Amino acid sequence: MRGLLPSIALGALMALLALAVVFWLGTDADASPAERAERLGAQLRCPDCQGLSIADSPTRSAQEIRRQVSELIADGASDEEIRAHFVARYGEWILLAPSSPAWWVLPFAVVLLAAAALVAWIVRRSGGATAASPPALSADERRRLHEEAEALDA
Amino acid sequence: MRHLRWLVVPLLVIPLGWLLFSGFGRDPREIASPLIDRPAPEWTLTTLDGETLSSSDLAGRPYVVNFWASWCGPCVDEHAVLSATHDAYGDEIAMVGVLYQDLPADAQAFLARYGQTGYRHVIDPDGRLAIDFGVTGPPETYFIDADGILRAKQFGPLTESSMDQKLASILPAVGALDR
Repeated sequence: MRGLLPSIALGALMALLALAVVFWLGTDADASPAERAERLGAQLRCPDCQGLSIADSPTRSAQEIRRQVSELIADGASDEEIRAHFVARYGEWILLAPSSPAWWVLPFAVVLLAAAALVAWIVRRSGGATAASPPALSADERRRLHEEAEALDA
Repeated sequence: MRHLRWLVVPLLVIPLGWLLFSGFGRDPREIASPLIDRPAPEWTLTTLDGETLSSSDLAGRPYVVNFWASWCGPCVDEHAVLSATHDAYGDEIAMVGVLYQDLPADAQAFLARYGQTGYRHVIDPDGRLAIDFGVTGPPETYFIDADGILRAKQFGPLTESSMDQKLASILPAVGALDR
């Protein structure tokens, strides 16, 4: 059981590294207006769809939000300002991904914590079981068992 | 340690179960509006009759903005509630309907079939006003007080009781007691 701990830790580290790479890739500043509009479109929820971004939806609301995103970019608004523009109307709900990285880390932290608690519990339980192994048989009991086994054989 | 195990059920399983269960019963589009207690969006749009109507024309008294569409089933259910409210309050409360992704001709046919409302309806051609209010789908209704501050939002069709409850948030306290 203890052998699993390093691989769990390694897995968690790789997950965090992957997240870091995603954040790093997601924040390049030299994108063209069209690339920015596309990236922002993928981050904004279509208000009258089921779990689609405005980039993936043909509804009129999605079209209008896409148009407003392009307009805001042309007006020189930053990505953060554009997200804030729609959050002011719909709340954080309009963002497909939570705005704070803490919300990404939280579920991982909970799962890791629970896994650690489970491992600790299993290790403690198996350790406890060996300590409480049945007491050795007395000479009398051993002799009686031997006799009974022979009686069964006969 | 062993007796602590019994605490797992009340402390973890029951709250988690309740969280999941309540989550299933919730409409994911029913979101709390960030506009509550903030100035309502301003607009100038064309009515079904071809006149220009602006939010500033309604300012100075409480008003109700109802997003609806002729293709929307629940909008039929609340239609009578909206008409009755307009009849009961008259000029005390201004009311306006906003067409949500609908054709003016279809909206006219809806009103001809289910009854004219007595208040006006504006056309929101590209859905801009719906986005400014944070509408996710009709019917949705917003309640704005005499100072132009948005005080309440109704997600889904209005009933008599929800209408009374939301109106109380925009009516002057004395007026609410009178009724």
